[in-house]
Amino acid sequence: MKKKINYNLLVGGILAGGMLLFILIGCFVLPYDPEAMNDGLRFARISPAHPFGCDNFGRDIFTRVMVGARTTLVVALGTVAIGAGAGTLIGSVTGYFGGWLDEVVMRVNDALFAFPSILMALVVVSLLGSGKYHVILALGIAFIPSFARVVRSQYLKLKEMDYVKNARVFGCGHLRIMFVHILPNTLGVMVPTVMIGFNNAVLAEAGMSYLGIGVQPPDASLGRMLSEAQTYLFKQPMYAVFPGLAIIILVLGFSLLADGLGEK
Amino acid sequence: MLEIRDLNIEFHDHSVPETVVYDFDLSMEEGDIVGIVGESGSGKTMSALALCGLLARHDMEKKGKILFEGKELLTCSRQEMRALQGKEISIIFQEPMTSLNPVKKIGWQVEEALRLHTDLSKEECYERAIWALREAELAEPEKVYGQYPHELSGGMRQRVMIAAAIVCKPKILVADEPTTALDVTIQAQIIKLLLKLNEEQKTAILFISHDLSLVRRLCRRVVVMQNGYIVEQGDVEAIFRSPREEYTKRLIASIPSCDRGKQEKDLDGALEVFRAEDIAAGYRASDGLFGKGVEKEVLKGISFSLKKGEILGLVGESGCGKSTLAKIIVGLKGDYRGRLTGAGKVRMVFQDPYGSLNPAKSVGWLLEEPLRLQGGLSKAERHRMVLEMLKKVGLEESIAERYPRQLSGGQRQRVCIGLALMSRPEVLVADEAVSALDVTIQAQILRLLAQLRDEMGLAILFISHDLRVVYQICDRVMIMQDGEIVEEGTPRKVYFEHSHPYTAQLLEASGVFG
Repeated sequence: MKKKINYNLLVGGILAGGMLLFILIGCFVLPYDPEAMNDGLRFARISPAHPFGCDNFGRDIFTRVMVGARTTLVVALGTVAIGAGAGTLIGSVTGYFGGWLDEVVMRVNDALFAFPSILMALVVVSLLGSGKYHVILALGIAFIPSFARVVRSQYLKLKEMDYVKNARVFGCGHLRIMFVHILPNTLGVMVPTVMIGFNNAVLAEAGMSYLGIGVQPPDASLGRMLSEAQTYLFKQPMYAVFPGLAIIILVLGFSLLADGLGEK
Repeated sequence: MLEIRDLNIEFHDHSVPETVVYDFDLSMEEGDIVGIVGESGSGKTMSALALCGLLARHDMEKKGKILFEGKELLTCSRQEMRALQGKEISIIFQEPMTSLNPVKKIGWQVEEALRLHTDLSKEECYERAIWALREAELAEPEKVYGQYPHELSGGMRQRVMIAAAIVCKPKILVADEPTTALDVTIQAQIIKLLLKLNEEQKTAILFISHDLSLVRRLCRRVVVMQNGYIVEQGDVEAIFRSPREEYTKRLIASIPSCDRGKQEKDLDGALEVFRAEDIAAGYRASDGLFGKGVEKEVLKGISFSLKKGEILGLVGESGCGKSTLAKIIVGLKGDYRGRLTGAGKVRMVFQDPYGSLNPAKSVGWLLEEPLRLQGGLSKAERHRMVLEMLKKVGLEESIAERYPRQLSGGQRQRVCIGLALMSRPEVLVADEAVSALDVTIQAQILRLLAQLRDEMGLAILFISHDLRVVYQICDRVMIMQDGEIVEEGTPRKVYFEHSHPYTAQLLEASGVFG
């Protein structure tokens, strides 16, 4: 009998892995200076020298996709780190202790949940100003409620397990029970959640930069590039196609990866 | 009427096909009661589900023949199968809590089979449903008809399940561990009910159970299964009296016996290690955020003591407060009244060996945890003590590297016992610690507990609903009813010279004496 292959994991791994490799190479070698303008190369077509063509300032699009994907990745990772970190902390405390604290925090959480996370991020950015690190902070904060909710539900379930009771019988302190005994057991649920969060963060960053409140020029990010490209959509369609493709591959890769991990 | 020949069931969801049932043969006539006995993984449930047409998964293969009144069930179409399901062949499942749909009224669920298989009018359906509910001996069928499952107790739900199964007057009723989740007194009632149905309706019953003594009370013929094979089959009494196969002998030997000649240990001079005085506790059942809340009394002044090397049995049905008492003793429930002496050295073994070990940690890590909390020991010392403990509970040293999911139920329960003993307690509370195990494993764990008691001078509070097990292992027994101890004494005294009617009722229901 043939062994069942986890296609989600396989394809997701290839797409996400390829994209990560592409970004990693871009950290060390770049074909051109991403910010060097060249009037003679404005809207240059695809050629061996410029595989993705050039943009309205004559900058090499391939180079800028490489750099832009890196920025997007950094923003997404930072966002997920803040969201998952703070979310885990809040979720575990409220889920484990319950009571009025849980009620209050989760109702606030519900209220935050009612707004789209991008709207929340907009508020933070308009208070702090735009820029890469502010975007990370803004999106990170906006992502906390969704993580907190997942972690809390896990804690609610796991704290009733006999092994947790047993740990209490041994005289384990609350902190030790929460983070040494229970936390590793949330991993199965957290991994796919983080993956999905990562995707949402990529899209949110692209969206914010597209609206012009994310990463500021001349920095490149995939969303920023899309937003600039729309003006020249007919003159240089490749300007929009390649950053768009990069986003699709990144998001699709991690989505499939998340599904694949969840299947096991 | 029913003829199963050479039934083989194979699973294909792994790289290597796995056969779970080999060459299963069985024939049943009208009015037969046949039991299938076996431990978990023996294939008893699989065989029965195949008969009911409930094994229709794409990744499995069934070979052989199932003939029901001349009709081949394995090859017939879905439509033909559906026409039989619920009408000619019905099934009752183990778990009464999940086998009823919580959002539908009882009446609706009982009538479902009628709606599917008959053209009865609404009024006729109602009549039949009430008849079935009355047949299942529910006290007020008209009232139950309009209720939801959550308004009923476990025993009542199982009666409803039976009513739904017999409403079309099936020829065969498959009962898959129908009493396992129920208390002994309820269990006895359900067995009586099944016998009555068999007698009056001539319904043939295929009774699947891991409980040999239960099968003996209900069935005329028995099929003993192990690892997918039929080991032995034949007349129940004949098999009990003179089992031919080694495995059957072992199964029968694993049933704890209650003979009068039990050796009783003399504990007069032993040191008292634990004492509970007037323990009372309750739960506040609140009705919503602003509800007043009603104090429900669970324990009403429990007093007892434990001596070094004593095993004290605590017997009672679910809801009598025995688990609450265990929680108080080990310190998991703080709001109680009364006084505990010696409670610092109490550890616990839980019922479910699958839930009481942290799946994210290795066995070695888990066993080290009490020592780590205690402090003052080096890593090497801790590791050495873990290996010693593994040996003590009868496990190999290599188990330390493994994770709980890689262990069998019996091995896990050994690890749980080892874990409880790591911090050298004087008292061990075993809350239904062997109830979830197969009988042969159960016998091993009981031996282990008795041996540890002898070696370490451990006092054990052994909480159980199984009167046989308690009789076998305990030095003293307490019978608990509604938060009170109604009878106490040596097993021989409690079992043979009891004074309280509840004790008599329990003993009667569990069929300890035939």
